[in-house]
Amino acid sequence: MRNLFVRECGNYKTSYKKDMKLFGTKSEIIKWLILLIILLTLPLYASNYWVGLLTLCAISAIGAIGLNILTGFTGQISIGVGAFLGVGGYTTAILTTTYGLSFWISLPLAGIVTALVGGLFGIPSLRLKGLYLAIATLAAQVIITFIISRWDSVTGGTAGMVLSRPVIGNYVLTSNASYYYLTIIILMLTVLYSVNLLRTRVGRAFLAVRDRDIAAQIMGINLFYYKVLAFIISSFFVGIAGALLAHYTMIVSPELYNIQVSIQYLAMVLIGGLGSILGSILGAIFITLLPVGLTSVVDLLTAYMPDLYQLFSAFKEFVFGLAIILFLIFEPGGLAHIWQNIKNYFRVWPFSY
Amino acid sequence: MLKRKSLLGFLLGVLLLILSACGGQDSASPSTSSDSSGSDGKRTVVVGGLYDITGGTGDVGTPYAEGEKAYFEYLEMKGGVEGLNLKLIGKDYAYQIPEAQKLYQELRDKEKAVAILGWGTGDTEALRQQVASDQLPFISASYSENLKNIKESPYNFLTAASYSDQGRAILKWIVENHEGDTPPTLALLYNDTAFGRSPIEDIKAYAKEVGVEVVDEQVIDVQATEAQSQLLNMEKKNPDYAIIQQTWGATSTILRDAKTLGIDTQFIGLNWAAGEGIIDIVGADVAEGYMGILSHAFPYEDMPGMAEIKEYLDAKGKTIDDINQKFVQGWVAAKIMVEAIKIAAEKYPDGDLTGPQIREGLESIQNLDLGGLAANVSFAPDNHAGTEKTRLGIVKNGKWEPITDYFSHND
Repeated sequence: MRNLFVRECGNYKTSYKKDMKLFGTKSEIIKWLILLIILLTLPLYASNYWVGLLTLCAISAIGAIGLNILTGFTGQISIGVGAFLGVGGYTTAILTTTYGLSFWISLPLAGIVTALVGGLFGIPSLRLKGLYLAIATLAAQVIITFIISRWDSVTGGTAGMVLSRPVIGNYVLTSNASYYYLTIIILMLTVLYSVNLLRTRVGRAFLAVRDRDIAAQIMGINLFYYKVLAFIISSFFVGIAGALLAHYTMIVSPELYNIQVSIQYLAMVLIGGLGSILGSILGAIFITLLPVGLTSVVDLLTAYMPDLYQLFSAFKEFVFGLAIILFLIFEPGGLAHIWQNIKNYFRVWPFSY
Repeated sequence: MLKRKSLLGFLLGVLLLILSACGGQDSASPSTSSDSSGSDGKRTVVVGGLYDITGGTGDVGTPYAEGEKAYFEYLEMKGGVEGLNLKLIGKDYAYQIPEAQKLYQELRDKEKAVAILGWGTGDTEALRQQVASDQLPFISASYSENLKNIKESPYNFLTAASYSDQGRAILKWIVENHEGDTPPTLALLYNDTAFGRSPIEDIKAYAKEVGVEVVDEQVIDVQATEAQSQLLNMEKKNPDYAIIQQTWGATSTILRDAKTLGIDTQFIGLNWAAGEGIIDIVGADVAEGYMGILSHAFPYEDMPGMAEIKEYLDAKGKTIDDINQKFVQGWVAAKIMVEAIKIAAEKYPDGDLTGPQIREGLESIQNLDLGGLAANVSFAPDNHAGTEKTRLGIVKNGKWEPITDYFSHND
């Protein structure tokens, strides 16, 4: 049996088929299989609380991958993710609660409706770039949340709408573990899709648009088509994440989808690593768990200094901000880059030069 | 080759078995420790708390949280509740709904809380479906009328008159006390959150019923530091009265800017827009004549219920000047929850107390005397709104003075 720890080195591919293989070596397949098994058996040994947190991480990861397709791959900044999550959430809320549709039908529909709305707000992207586009997507954030909170007859206004958990046959996915499986499977499909997307013609066009859009246009890439397409694909996943979140928390309300959520998603993509699928997942985990970690640090400190709880709580925000700033200064490549560095270190060890 | 594959399969199988074995232990452990009575033979009851200390409504959230914590400390000081080891574990969620959801999960799964003392309207409404499926009774500092709906919020309880009832009470007072030949006109000032908009439709409907004309509505941010443009818009309609649904910060902004612009409308705040904080922020001369809903008593009011608070403060080396009305409000919320836990503990002397048992306890509370700290509350299986009664007060010589006793618009 070949040594599992011998890594691929150099490029010995002799056919296009080999070049397109998703898993190059056997050790890679085994590595992913082990990860898969760990993920699928997690609820057996992790506590209910952690399963719940990881479900939230998985949902954020789906949304972050969606945003990364738009921002990391196509180079279009969006500050409207929060609202697009809302579109997904409200679509499934209206379809399941008002019209009594099954979750399994309303989930893809939520993605499609969000994709359409996202595409609509992507139309200005041909004329607007960078900061200008960012502000245009901010408009999407404002307009969508405005509509959601004012269109009382459909959305229930600020009181929101109540949803139920999905049902398979007679089994309701009420437990944390069952919902975890649902989200983790959808996350895997998302990862598989987006990894493959980048290897296709469309994905390459996205990268070309990101790197130099004028050059891309000269090469014959239809800028408008691909820019709007990026919005559509990205919003589809954000919509799916929104729908999953809505059924997880079993409620939608306009306050859940404010600008802060949009910024958090942007932070996930930035901290995780722009243009990296792994980075989106790591970023989502980092941003979702950082407040939890900080809260436990505050709890630990308060155990010794009970009178300072208020001060520490206020400090939490500060540390959160500081962590993000330090990250961007010292590792602009994000968590994905750190991971790559660690791997490289072990790969070339002990001859690091 | 075949051998290798089967070896791999075998290894994976072993791994799975080990993992599932670990899982088995985990799922088995709660059953062995289900009776969590400690070495002292007491049953442990954990109440979870969600506080806003650093967020948008932290101005009133901080004293409220302190009041809740103080009541549990007071109980401990007095020797606790017979046979129970009561604990309050609370966390700051900074008025962020996603954060509230994470903390709620932590309280439920990690701390094993069986009841929750919550805070804001947005997060309480966002959690109501979750607490219903987890069967955890939830007393919130939000008095949103939506939470009265037993079908949608079967585990939520309101411990004071709902925002809508507060608004109705103000309208009743306006109708009874309005001077002048023309019918009274009213403006509504609120923020664009679930909290701010909660009573608006109900107030408008009731105003129509009692013949008060709503002439204007202005949206003012919950953290606004400037509201002149909205107030100028409002002034064009020249309403006799304006109802404010905000917390201290935005209310102070409104009062200060109204003074600057010389607007003579009578401002009346709902309960979170009333309290000492307003006078502290804007000063006694600006606040003079401002009216508000006094859902709870002030520390300086001579009420029988205040004796316990004074006892607690004495023990801590503090005086009533260190606390305010929102502290009393938190104290009362905690007291009502503990009352329900006591009832449940008496009724179910064996095993750990559960959420449904505490809900039963809450539902059997009839006319609970709060010693004047708040209107007496009653719950029933088909009614989770504790009371419809509230008081009105006015700022006179830099101090809040009640001008009515607890009353309801239905009286």
